Amino acid sequence: MIRLYQVGKSYGDHEALRDVTLSIDKGEFVYVTGPSGAGKSTLLKLLYGATTPSTGKLLVAGIDIAQLQGGRLPQLRRNVGVVFQDFKLLPRRSVGANVALALEVVGAPAEQIRRRVPAVLNIVGLKAREDALASELSGGEQQRVAIARAIVNDPAVLLADEPTGNLDGAMAVEVMEILQAINLRGTTVLVATHDVGLMDRFPHRRVRFEGGRLAPQAGARGRA
Amino acid sequence: MNGVIARAWRGIRENRYLSFVSTGVIAAALALLGVFALGILNMRAVLVAWEHDAHISAYVAKDLPAAEAAALRAKVAALPQVETVTWVSEADARAWLGTQVPELAPSMGELARGTLPASMEITLRSGAVRPEALESFVRTLRGLGPWTEIDYGQEWVARIATFVSMLTVTGSMLGVLIAVAAVFLVANTVHLVVFSRRDELAIMRLVGATDGYILGPFVTEGVLQGLVGGLVALGGLWAVYAGVVARLRDALGPALGHDALRFLPPGWCGALVLGGVLVGGLASYGAVRRFLGSLP
Repeated sequence: MIRLYQVGKSYGDHEALRDVTLSIDKGEFVYVTGPSGAGKSTLLKLLYGATTPSTGKLLVAGIDIAQLQGGRLPQLRRNVGVVFQDFKLLPRRSVGANVALALEVVGAPAEQIRRRVPAVLNIVGLKAREDALASELSGGEQQRVAIARAIVNDPAVLLADEPTGNLDGAMAVEVMEILQAINLRGTTVLVATHDVGLMDRFPHRRVRFEGGRLAPQAGARGRA
Repeated sequence: MNGVIARAWRGIRENRYLSFVSTGVIAAALALLGVFALGILNMRAVLVAWEHDAHISAYVAKDLPAAEAAALRAKVAALPQVETVTWVSEADARAWLGTQVPELAPSMGELARGTLPASMEITLRSGAVRPEALESFVRTLRGLGPWTEIDYGQEWVARIATFVSMLTVTGSMLGVLIAVAAVFLVANTVHLVVFSRRDELAIMRLVGATDGYILGPFVTEGVLQGLVGGLVALGGLWAVYAGVVARLRDALGPALGHDALRFLPPGWCGALVLGGVLVGGLASYGAVRRFLGSLP
């Protein structure tokens, strides 16, 4: 599903990622860990096409990120759902409208949107709040809306960049349970985090970065 | 297409204040341009009316027989530049002076015969009033008959012609400058409005929207705001014209000429609204395009 071969990313003189070779199979749940500035966010940015690698080759769902041009970026984004620490919702739109946006941009028919949005909100436990404004929700609820928006198009890959960073313990656990449930439905999930407690509670393969390189101790730990 | 318009309408509703600001700036910029156009149009009309009012007074010898005077008048009337020729006899001149200066009426009989010579009052077609053409016509006129004097206010005509010419050149230059300033003003405002909605653009891009999908409603919003801005500017101009300028016409109309103080012709009104539509649409397109280029 995701293949990196000797991938490097530089910003001027600064090397954010160096010589990263990594393979993640379809349906895996992987934590990307490491201290701040280690390259976790850079890796995720590469995976959703926010930037392109300076060196090496990177394939996501069969799309070569180095060759992203014109119409291929929307195609990648429709196959890769992204969840951020700060949710990135439209605060003046309803929960349902925020989720529907991801379907509207791919030209989904109105009937499909009417059917699909409540179904996805049901997965994240927010069906009852479909008409509420996004700005009226708690942090945990907003993150669940962001997850619903990220998975509404059934992406092959779900990326989450510090998804629990702004949440308290109970809400963080709720979000992790949802991500795990999504993974069990067959979606490949990558979560960038440095929350060891959550990783221990929901054990999955960990990939650790240090100074832009894969740390030697990184390896498979198997599924929970 | 319906989807684009519906999304544009939703964008306007969700961003009422910003849409109001954009529309207001477009309306203000177009109104400024419209006021300038109205001013130039009417100043030019006044000057052209004054220029057109220029006429030639050709005085004939006091002992010119009536038959010769009639023949001379016919020759003058036959000249291609001439629009009208009016014979003003000495009696007509006396009567005119009496009506213009009533205090002189009682002593008019004491004026010696020949004091007010008969004349031909000649008005010319519009093309012949230009200074060079006028000089040429007067040379032709001098060759036709025994005039005692030909008065054609050459300095006045030359001044008006120079002023019309200056107004046309400087007015065009100023018009272009104001139009460019208006375009920049609108473009910068729209750019700021788009910038304030950057999160919305970034989220659309994030969930896989194509540039065309994002641009469509924004450009439509710009076109709608330009249309409304243009119509508001036109309405405002009309209100100012009807309320203030029309009163000026009542007070100064005779002095300004019957064609002066007109409203913008329909073509100019259409151009103003079309300008708003184009500026609104293109400014939105440019701002969103530029912003999309900076998005990851």
